[in-house]
Amino acid sequence: MWSTAREVAAGDVVIAWMTRDIIQPLLITPGKDLNTKYGYYRHSDLIGVPYGSKVRSRNGKGFFHLLRPTPELWTLALPHRTQILYLADIAFVEAWLDLKPGSKVIEAGTGSGSFSHSVARTVGPTGHLWSYEFHEARASKAREEFTRHGMDDIVTLTHRNVCKDGFTVTDTVDAVFLDLPAPWDAIGHAKNALRKDRITRICCFSPCMEQVLRTVSALNEAGFTEITMYETLLRPHQVESTPPLTPISVVSDRLKQSEARREEKRLRQIANARAGAERRAKRKAEEEAANEKDGKRIKSDGEGESDPVPPEVQAQDERAATDGMRLDGAADVAAASPIRAASSAPVEDATTTEGSEPQKITLSKTFAEVRGHTSYLTFAVLLPAAVREVAATATSVTVSAESTPPPPPATKESKMTDVQSGVEST
Amino acid sequence: MDVGEGSSQPNHASSSTREETIRIGDTVLLKIPSGDIRTIKLEGNSNINLGKFGSFPSSELAGQSYGLTYEIVDKKLKVLPPRPMQEVEDTEATNELINDGQYVQPLTVEEIETLKKAGLHASEIIKKQIEQHANYSLKTEYSKEKYKKRKEAKYSKSFSVLEPTMFNVCEYWFNKDQNRLRDIRPDSLAQILNLANVRPGGRYLAVDDASGVLVSGILDRLGGSGRLITICDIDSPPAYPVMVHMNFRKEVTSVMSSLNWATADEEYTPIIASVDPPAGKFKSDGQRTRLNKRKFASDALMQTREELFAGEYDGLLIASQYDPFSIIEKLYPYLGGSASIVVHSPHVQVVTSLQTQLRDRPGYLGPTVTEGFLRRYQVLPGRTHPMMNASGSGGFILHVIKIYDDPTASSVMVHRHRKKAKQSSEGPSEKDVEQPAAIVVDATGDDVEMRTSES
Repeated sequence: MWSTAREVAAGDVVIAWMTRDIIQPLLITPGKDLNTKYGYYRHSDLIGVPYGSKVRSRNGKGFFHLLRPTPELWTLALPHRTQILYLADIAFVEAWLDLKPGSKVIEAGTGSGSFSHSVARTVGPTGHLWSYEFHEARASKAREEFTRHGMDDIVTLTHRNVCKDGFTVTDTVDAVFLDLPAPWDAIGHAKNALRKDRITRICCFSPCMEQVLRTVSALNEAGFTEITMYETLLRPHQVESTPPLTPISVVSDRLKQSEARREEKRLRQIANARAGAERRAKRKAEEEAANEKDGKRIKSDGEGESDPVPPEVQAQDERAATDGMRLDGAADVAAASPIRAASSAPVEDATTTEGSEPQKITLSKTFAEVRGHTSYLTFAVLLPAAVREVAATATSVTVSAESTPPPPPATKESKMTDVQSGVEST
Repeated sequence: MDVGEGSSQPNHASSSTREETIRIGDTVLLKIPSGDIRTIKLEGNSNINLGKFGSFPSSELAGQSYGLTYEIVDKKLKVLPPRPMQEVEDTEATNELINDGQYVQPLTVEEIETLKKAGLHASEIIKKQIEQHANYSLKTEYSKEKYKKRKEAKYSKSFSVLEPTMFNVCEYWFNKDQNRLRDIRPDSLAQILNLANVRPGGRYLAVDDASGVLVSGILDRLGGSGRLITICDIDSPPAYPVMVHMNFRKEVTSVMSSLNWATADEEYTPIIASVDPPAGKFKSDGQRTRLNKRKFASDALMQTREELFAGEYDGLLIASQYDPFSIIEKLYPYLGGSASIVVHSPHVQVVTSLQTQLRDRPGYLGPTVTEGFLRRYQVLPGRTHPMMNASGSGGFILHVIKIYDDPTASSVMVHRHRKKAKQSSEGPSEKDVEQPAAIVVDATGDDVEMRTSES
């Protein structure tokens, strides 16, 4: 499979990680250039660079990370030819099917090869993957890709419609994975391909419940047991580092302070108004004195003109009222201040010491929009042929063992296991 | 156009991590009709007692394939054939006329005991119970199925041997005691192993305070090829109890060595007792054996240390009760470039804090926190639905890639910002200079040859 050398060599497939969202495969070809928004690079300059290096653009503007391909990175970087399988499903299917070094596996269809790469990695050079794709162009693309990735020893790719024509191996594989629109049409063929001397496993991957139901009855009729179904997803978490959440005492203080300021402003206005009124009164008195001298009355030009209450009187009333209030307010602030000082202290630390060592907390939540469904994973096991034959003979019914399900036991007390994987209990 | 047909000859020389058949000395998981799983170590010449479900000599299981179901008949095991699912007919029956607490079963417990003692088969007893049941015919077909199932769990003298796949073993432990596995559910384990790119021939470091489920998973995926060094918090070789159920071949476990947090410290020189006889020659054969053993152990320890310090490991897998940041910082120097670091924790805070710690550090690329979701369904004809009981959490996983930083490399954003600053000082009319976020989106457009993202 991919290079395991420490440094990049010509002909290697590498993963160029530009950003989390821009991850692309790159076949190192001396003479070629990589020219992106994230800089300009010559392939030949990448040869000899250790995998995992941050690589600087030739013009100094921009960089990317030169990564060793893994099936997981490949899933993020691969050119999509079809809808693909992602980590959660791939990992779960491999685990349930008990894939490990040496496992022999069938996959249909190949699609974009997301699952194939992971299986090839897991079964390794002592295992084998037979992969089938009915779409000719996609099969060719996948074949080129497998060759480029050094997987020819592990993967055999066949262009074929397995629902119609079956698989190319019989009595050979440990596990079958069917990602087909109508997996039920391939289940009989899958049974032929599975080895007969031990327990083998199958998984059918279908997005719709109706497909699951048809698959389940086809598996049951073909003699598969322990039929079960799962759904698995990954929820990515969005993590942020923020200052500690503000306690309400701070809010309360802010409100109190703004109230105090408002009150101060109001009193200032009142004081101004009073001063104005006094000035006006003084002026008026002078004018009146002058008028009396002139024996004439002149109307004042001021604002207080239409007031039923003379401004002086109003100002006096206000003063009386606010004096009382002011006393109350002062008492309030005095009482509240020790508490305020104590409760707001840590918050002030967090905000005022911003420059030196800000106190931060870590918060996380799942992203607002996540993948909500991929497919249902229907699993089943096929017991060794010897055990299944016991079933056929025990009921002394002549059946063609391969295509007809073993008839129900005479006792009729059959129950279906919905118990965990493992084995059917009776 | 068929290319490269694979061999159609049966080729069963699989390099499995365990023996194909059950052997004396194996630790097997037996599932009894009640659904409980018993763990039994098969000793030669001994009896396996499953209580009311019966008993049989352990030799009966030796040589059998894993995964089969047996009925105990006269202390002998009879392989039971697989049973297909039954379609259940829809009928008009409802529970309208069935009341709780009614006297419905004239067959007494004593009578049933007598029948059992007389050696009547479970199916016969259940048949009798059904015949005597006053309301059985009123039940819906679904209800009848459930009734029979419940009775079978009570009287059936059968059991199954769980195949010790990593999935089955992990699930058995998870259901038994989730805390001891630190919430590593089979789906979590599968994701950890894939994210860490565990493959045959690979070299890994692991810190497993999860009863050895992680170590077992790695060994299963190495298949006897590659290397695993684990680091534990005790001064004796770590007990990884989950491994016992895997029944690994010796070649599979031989790729593993263990150090502890003292012996894994490069600054520290382990105190090793003298391996030479004090008098210059061995006083006795016993002393010779003892000292040779000690020499072997200390040599192995020093060798493992050197191997660790030589570095270039492909991955680091952590499921630990200790501060993951301290573990990563300690083992980081021994990882190769592009190595995967995977941390699992039952607590989201542990991995999210770690993410914050790693995010702005050079040398770590793309720390990502994920949480698995798993839902199992009952699939019975006409009765398909998610299971009523499900596991609440399989823990949280952080994945990050080790990179070699280049402090002189500067982001293309920096240059654009400078350009922008320059432009805006010349004239604020240049409105087409994007914000960083916009640049990322824009880059998918032209000169980077991009995949079209689906879904």
